[in-house]
Amino acid sequence: MKICLLSYRGNPYCGGQGIYLMYVARELAKLGHEVHAIVGPPYPFPIEGVTYHYIDNHNYFNIKDFVKPHKPFATLEPLNFYEFTASKFGIFPEIESFSIRAYCKLKELLKTHSFDIIHDNQCLGYGFLLIKQFGIPFVSTIHHPLTIDRSTWFEYPSSFFLKTKRILYYPLVMQKYVANKMDLIITVSHDSAREIYKAFGVPLEKQRVVYNGMDSSIFYPIKTKKRPNSLIFVGNVEDRKKGVIYMLKALTLTKHKVHLTIVDGGAPNRNYVPKWIDKFQLNDRITFTGKIPLDKLVKLYAETQIALCPSLYEGFGFPAAEAMACELPVIAATGGALPEVVGQHNKTGILVPPRDPYALAQAIDYLIENPGVRERIGKAARTRVLETFTWENAAKQMVKVYQEAIDAYRGL
Amino acid sequence: MPRAKIYGFLAVIISALLGIAFVYYAFIRFDMYSSLHFSSIDTGAYWAVTTPIAIVTLFILATGFWVGYTILTIKVAPPMPEIVEKKDNSKFKAFLLCLVTAALAAWFVYGLLNHYYLAIAIPAACITLVILGMVFWVGIAIITTRSTLKKDK
Repeated sequence: MKICLLSYRGNPYCGGQGIYLMYVARELAKLGHEVHAIVGPPYPFPIEGVTYHYIDNHNYFNIKDFVKPHKPFATLEPLNFYEFTASKFGIFPEIESFSIRAYCKLKELLKTHSFDIIHDNQCLGYGFLLIKQFGIPFVSTIHHPLTIDRSTWFEYPSSFFLKTKRILYYPLVMQKYVANKMDLIITVSHDSAREIYKAFGVPLEKQRVVYNGMDSSIFYPIKTKKRPNSLIFVGNVEDRKKGVIYMLKALTLTKHKVHLTIVDGGAPNRNYVPKWIDKFQLNDRITFTGKIPLDKLVKLYAETQIALCPSLYEGFGFPAAEAMACELPVIAATGGALPEVVGQHNKTGILVPPRDPYALAQAIDYLIENPGVRERIGKAARTRVLETFTWENAAKQMVKVYQEAIDAYRGL
Repeated sequence: MPRAKIYGFLAVIISALLGIAFVYYAFIRFDMYSSLHFSSIDTGAYWAVTTPIAIVTLFILATGFWVGYTILTIKVAPPMPEIVEKKDNSKFKAFLLCLVTAALAAWFVYGLLNHYYLAIAIPAACITLVILGMVFWVGIAIITTRSTLKKDK
């Protein structure tokens, strides 16, 4: 099968989308398919069997010094000028502009290549309506609808200005319209499928659930001495849907004096949380590592007793699955798809209600006091991850979805 | 001076001159009080010119209304009491935004149907000045961006 993947951000260190692209592309190539990927910056690392086609982007939304000395007039080009202007009004235009550029790139590629299927990775820009005109089956992965990000942001008190910025930031109208035009939607959990139906109105019959995988060759248990009363949280602390504030509150409620290690994107990405760490007087009990390499993260998992995932919502929850693969007992909130990933309460993990710092604190104390339970849950968690979440399975299921879309297109 | 900087200066000067010229000819030199209507313009020509302006204006006002309406109506879980620092008055501001955008849209449509000069001139000025302002900004950025590294670097 000749597959063309689209991802507006391709690097695995830029978040879940990049990780998804990397593993899906790699596994599809391993299965013997011809894989091409049209990607925006930051670009992915080369993978054997995957041909990348790069699309430029000036990242006007995030970069202040937008004039490139070697291309001083690039901003005055029509699409760049639109991106520049829209980003100055708080709109996030990267998705839309990527979709238009992807159309142009595909048009060029189709002169020399033919594709059986095009698979988008949660972009859903208006340019895809043009891509549909090529007459190639077109599916899209939606990890979770961005309405969730918007509403969790609104849960926290913020000014009118910030709320306005948030509303303008998420391209929900466009994504809702384009999602309904795709041949099939792939999503990563049953909970996400329900949320996509609620937010975008895409019927469940048009959605296929393909669970993400977990790379057990990277995430595995290491025998080492664990630090007493140690906890770990992996994720972007500024992302309101991660429930960090409830986790901080829980730390003030535990009977045991626990120490939390936070693995996040680094100091420039922290504005909101340090204030609450000060307010809850937790400065001596929290360590930020910033961005660290994967081998160091695995070592950190090995040295820690408990992993926390207090998210209000997760479309899948990579950090929970990673910790489980490292035989770490996970305390997860029942937000979104986390129960689907973590599994049975008290068997493969501990589940607590989201937004409940008291329940979270109680669960932390319970696991601190019961090393036997920690070990039992950790081992069961790894078994669950190895059996349920592999990228090989994900790729095989994805190929079935592709075939279904192709057959429907051919009227079979 | 590098060629890029020359073009940067040109972008700044031209956008500034066009902006000033627009304001001067549309609002200062033009005697709005004696000719408040586009009465002498052919109907077809009037709608040909005003329709694009009307679409953009109504789209922007509708976006403003939608932002206010979303803030007013979005349903979310209440925040943890510890993190509420001060009273949130964003709903009141959102209500005002809805009110203002609806009133402006009503005034604009009324003015458009009655061929009022200002109903067309003000949105046209806003759109033009925003675009020229962006070009001006890019020009300034080109002028102030160092094109080569310093000799000691």
